[in-house]
Amino acid sequence: MQKLGDFKLPAFFNYPPYFTLQPVRDTREKQVQLWRELILDYCRTQKVFVIALEEEFPLFSNPVIERSLNNEARETFLSALVSEGRAEWLDKGHRKCLILWHRIQDWADLILSFVKDNGLEDNVMTVEEIRSGIESRGTELHGMDRTILMRALKLLEHKGKLAIFKGTSADDEGVKFSV
Amino acid sequence: MGNLFVKKPKITDVDRAILTLKTQRRKLAQYQQQLDTVIEAEKQAARDLVRQSRKDRALLALKKKKAQEEILKQVDGWLINVEQQLADIELASKQKAVFQSLKAGNDAMKAIQSEINLEDVQKLMDDTEEAKAYQDEINAILGEKLSAEDEEEILAEFENLEAELAVQDMPEVHAKGPSKEEEEKLDLPDVPTKTPVADGAEITKAEVSTKKKVLEEPLPA
Repeated sequence: MQKLGDFKLPAFFNYPPYFTLQPVRDTREKQVQLWRELILDYCRTQKVFVIALEEEFPLFSNPVIERSLNNEARETFLSALVSEGRAEWLDKGHRKCLILWHRIQDWADLILSFVKDNGLEDNVMTVEEIRSGIESRGTELHGMDRTILMRALKLLEHKGKLAIFKGTSADDEGVKFSV
Repeated sequence: MGNLFVKKPKITDVDRAILTLKTQRRKLAQYQQQLDTVIEAEKQAARDLVRQSRKDRALLALKKKKAQEEILKQVDGWLINVEQQLADIELASKQKAVFQSLKAGNDAMKAIQSEINLEDVQKLMDDTEEAKAYQDEINAILGEKLSAEDEEEILAEFENLEAELAVQDMPEVHAKGPSKEEEEKLDLPDVPTKTPVADGAEITKAEVSTKKKVLEEPLPA
């Protein structure tokens, strides 16, 4: 089994046909399914939030069998994730893709349980603090993508679990929890 | 905002102050990182210059490094200040919460107490006192009648009862004796059933006597 860092690659990663979009519909569906799972899995374990189509991404090429995905294939696989709600295009040109290995709702739940675990129920935190502060160290929230974090926070704000506000310095947003 | 009915937490000035302080803290930490890299770079530069034996330039680099280190120390102090103030704010708002809950408790206590009139209480206590005195009087009257005529009779009955109980106690001791032994050892109950101490002696005598008989029998025979 080939490995990418500490990530175990599935067997199909070594089969050249999987690196070319399959013309037959059934085969292609199977192929897309496998790639979809692989991308999600990889992003979850490696904490990858954004995949840029035109940049190097370790999953998109396999030097061992000298194959790599072309742009069309990359876009097809990512679009499959987008249609499933597990990814979102960040631009209209479909060049950058936000990967949601947790759905926004799941991220929101993670934030809530983090808040409860740390007794922050009525505290104020900065958005940056949630991503990189000492409180979140060792949790899944640490180092999470800011776009996703803001989306999850907005969702929670909608539910009345917190309020997002700006301080006097205006270049950092604060969150007041009310769980 | 489509959801107007959801109650959002209210942002107070305190919250804003905390946010500003926390942002400041983050910025200071960033600044420290920046200083750290500069210091590291100057150190490296000084090392290289020493290797190239350009003493004056190396000294300059070290001076710059020293200056940066001084700034870093200052920033450390600021950071501590910011942290301290954050902690103070938190403590103060906790104090406020404690004060408010104590106040609420105090108000509740006052409300309850306002329902009790002090005069009423005094009257109630007086009434109770009167009732007690009245009761005592009745007791005294009843007691007088009783004591004069029946004292001796009561005493006699008491003695009677005492004697009765004493008699009742004796068989009880007897009944308890063997049952306890039965519980503890199964072999032993045989001994007490054969009544008094003399019996026990007889058994030993009998045992001895059988032995003796064996010894003695040949003699008369």
